[in-house]
Amino acid sequence: MTLQRQVRAVPGAEVIRTVCPYGCGISCGILAHVKDGVLLKVEPSDHAGTSHVCVKSLSAPKLVYHPDRLKHPMKRVGERGEGKWQPISWDEALETIASKLKDIGAKYGTNSLGFVSTGVGLFSNLLTVGFAGACGGTFILPAGLGDSAGPCADMASFGAFMWYGEDYLNRFENPAFCVAWGNNPADTQPFKWRRIMDAKEKGARLVVIDPRFTTTASKADEYIRIRPGTDAALALGMMNVILERGLHDIGFLIQHTVAPFLVRMDNGLFLREKDISRGESEKYVIWDQGENSAATHDMSNTSPAVIGTFTVNGIECKPAFQLLSELIDQYPPEKASEITNVPVETMIKLAMEYATQKPTATYRGMGGTRGSLYGDLTFRAINTLAAITGNISVRTPHTTQYNFMTFMTHGISDLVTLLQMYEAIENEQPHPLKSLWMTRHNLMNQDPNFNKFTRELLPKLELVVAVDMFMTTSAKYADIVLPTCSPYEWNDLAASIGEGSQDYLQLQKKVIEPLHESKSDIEIYSGLAEKMGIEGFLDKTDKEYIEIMIASGHPTMEGITLEKLEEAPQYPAPDPAPPFATPSGRIEFYTERLKDFDQALPVYIEPMESQRTPLAHKYPLSISTTHPKYRLHSMYTNISWIREIDTEPVLNISPEDAKPRNIKDGDLVRVFNDRGEVKLKAQVQNGIPQRLVNMNQGWSPWHYKAGTHQALTHNTINPAQAAIYEPNAAFCDTLVEIERVEEG
Amino acid sequence: MVKRYGMVIDLERCTGCQTCTVACKVEHGIEVGSGISVQTVGGPHRDTPGGTYPNLSMYYLPTPCMHCDKPPCQDACPAGAISKRPDGIVLIDEEKCDGCQMCISACPYEALFFDSDKNVVRKCNMCSDRLDEGFEPFCVLCCGVDAMFYGDIADPASDVSKLIANRNAYTLKSEQGAGPAIYYCAPQPPRRL
Repeated sequence: MTLQRQVRAVPGAEVIRTVCPYGCGISCGILAHVKDGVLLKVEPSDHAGTSHVCVKSLSAPKLVYHPDRLKHPMKRVGERGEGKWQPISWDEALETIASKLKDIGAKYGTNSLGFVSTGVGLFSNLLTVGFAGACGGTFILPAGLGDSAGPCADMASFGAFMWYGEDYLNRFENPAFCVAWGNNPADTQPFKWRRIMDAKEKGARLVVIDPRFTTTASKADEYIRIRPGTDAALALGMMNVILERGLHDIGFLIQHTVAPFLVRMDNGLFLREKDISRGESEKYVIWDQGENSAATHDMSNTSPAVIGTFTVNGIECKPAFQLLSELIDQYPPEKASEITNVPVETMIKLAMEYATQKPTATYRGMGGTRGSLYGDLTFRAINTLAAITGNISVRTPHTTQYNFMTFMTHGISDLVTLLQMYEAIENEQPHPLKSLWMTRHNLMNQDPNFNKFTRELLPKLELVVAVDMFMTTSAKYADIVLPTCSPYEWNDLAASIGEGSQDYLQLQKKVIEPLHESKSDIEIYSGLAEKMGIEGFLDKTDKEYIEIMIASGHPTMEGITLEKLEEAPQYPAPDPAPPFATPSGRIEFYTERLKDFDQALPVYIEPMESQRTPLAHKYPLSISTTHPKYRLHSMYTNISWIREIDTEPVLNISPEDAKPRNIKDGDLVRVFNDRGEVKLKAQVQNGIPQRLVNMNQGWSPWHYKAGTHQALTHNTINPAQAAIYEPNAAFCDTLVEIERVEEG
Repeated sequence: MVKRYGMVIDLERCTGCQTCTVACKVEHGIEVGSGISVQTVGGPHRDTPGGTYPNLSMYYLPTPCMHCDKPPCQDACPAGAISKRPDGIVLIDEEKCDGCQMCISACPYEALFFDSDKNVVRKCNMCSDRLDEGFEPFCVLCCGVDAMFYGDIADPASDVSKLIANRNAYTLKSEQGAGPAIYYCAPQPPRRL
């Protein structure tokens, strides 16, 4: 590796270009200073545009050499969660796990063996999927822990893969107007934030829509406070303003969306050529105003109607845009204002700017999808707003399509989504799940409904294994814990995951040897495979696997080699695929697949636990558990440098809600609902609206006076999301009450 | 012309991420405290706004040592441990410092802190050892939002001098006359819809 700029190395240290491996998904390039096999320091990488560090990456040596790191395999000797452990050898640990897995597999079927993992390096997840496949088990897809409603929406709207959908809304060279919608990139997505600040410096105004006043809101030209979970109604109200004034972009709608496609009134499906003439043609049909007759969508020189009702071959049809207009007609600004608490005047101004300041860039993150069980509809409404105003970047997102099958040498495992895992454990649907293996996935801390999981589901599991660096909440409930390396201790490949992360591939390099008795995932899985008698799984070196990953044959990976990656990060080539991978190849604000849920259009549905449901009489406050500014989920709570800044969990509450409950700043409060409780310190502040309380998630039970924040959340499945991708945990669609309690 | 090292901090870009405070710990081996602190200007707690909706406001104020022209800390130090280099950088000689902490109360900017492990007062030295070798201060290198700049404020042609002129950058508590070398670009007021 040749350094691109002069770097002042720690005296005697080698400087190695690697990647911050901790799972915020951004994958910042960093330089590691290593002397005599010890990681001493981390600094920003030296490649233009890739440089970023934060309090987390700078704390790397503190994390790697933390005295509390798990040092050897241990088995539980007390009750689950009691914290009594006995060190054992790797041989005994793997032997015990292998024999138990074989027993459970024989008794309930091998797909009752559940595996879940998280991590930025590709090895983490792909190896786990591969191992699940090799033993006939089930991989638990983890996106449903708050990150799957966005992809649900973007798959419907754009056919977008995973988290790349937001690219359509904001990848403009020079945005004239920026809207951060339920998104706080100033705290959580630094690369995206740079683009926004650069646009702002060039004159673009920034509007921030969020129930709470965030760092991003503090930089806004206009901050709009919205009632939690009602964002789709705001988008519909804005669209009403836009259509009323004729500010929509008809040319864009006809060219890039399903606006002119006729929808059959009898069954809600798009009219196809086969419906009106002989043959099996699936071509979509439009109404040509020139000829005053139906035509297929691909015919040239037509003048497609987007408004009206037409009868074709005896079938009554309407263009999809007519149906959208009818929905939008139901949301005049007055009504949308009543739902969202956004003043009519503000909504009108925002809508007019959004439609006329082209291009308007919208930044969504994931926040907006967590405030409602129907978070996918929130994003579909925003996508539709962007589409009707032509504020869409019509190009295929920048993806890195590496070889997903690298470790799936022994077949593909069963897949269960995170929320369906609860069903599988509790009700054995779609099949029993009797063991749970978690690689660096702090499931009991980060997934919803803690009490239900630990009290009702956990006892049904016959084996729980945690592979982690620390005694996390989840490790505490395990039967066997295995010490994993820190990601500075193995080679891996880090790729963009879209949504504010880097655009390039880079090597995560092994810069130090594994500490204590910790092992890398490859070593752990190959050891376990051997004990289970699975032959030929993991017979290559880490670098060889990286080469296989790169060699996917996909055009985006053209020209990328391990040698080049050793030198510098590599940008994938543009994806030649058409921009929209929806069934129609266009932006779909009307989605056939969702018609049976009455969600073919981006309708507004009041959140499940909204402040306007009967449950709110008992539990009047919404709670949001937002991403921390200085930590990453449950990580870094054990780093002294970070705790010096972020000292303890606090509950943000408005003065309006604090006063009638006799709560003063700094008081201990109990937050509760029917599912559970948590006790922590109240922080009375004006950045939180009435009827919302907020806290940063990621703290573990021992950081609270009692309980835990995940005891409040629920694991309700939205079936429409399950039908399209993965159901999402709507963490912030949660009602609670709070009361002051005495210390001690 | 005599060089005068200084810094410009753009409060419009600063997000209060505290990377500079931790970067300082990394570079100077500080366990508790830092040569630069980041205050929230707004509400009563870190990351909380002042005012009431819709007129909420908040910004962040990173404060390293101001490397003053006439450092009040230097005058206050009975041990003669504080000195000023010709290029303006104010240094504490940790060999001479006896930990009396008179300087801490003398500083109008609360920029000095006591390191109880070493029994000395510490502060930002603008990474003088890095500067001497031609490298930027470590906090400037690490700032992820491009909010920190350093250079020769005595040279009107330097980037920092131009930034000071173009953005009407100001110093803190200038009325006290210490002559700070750290300049701030004000956060941009909201332009509204």
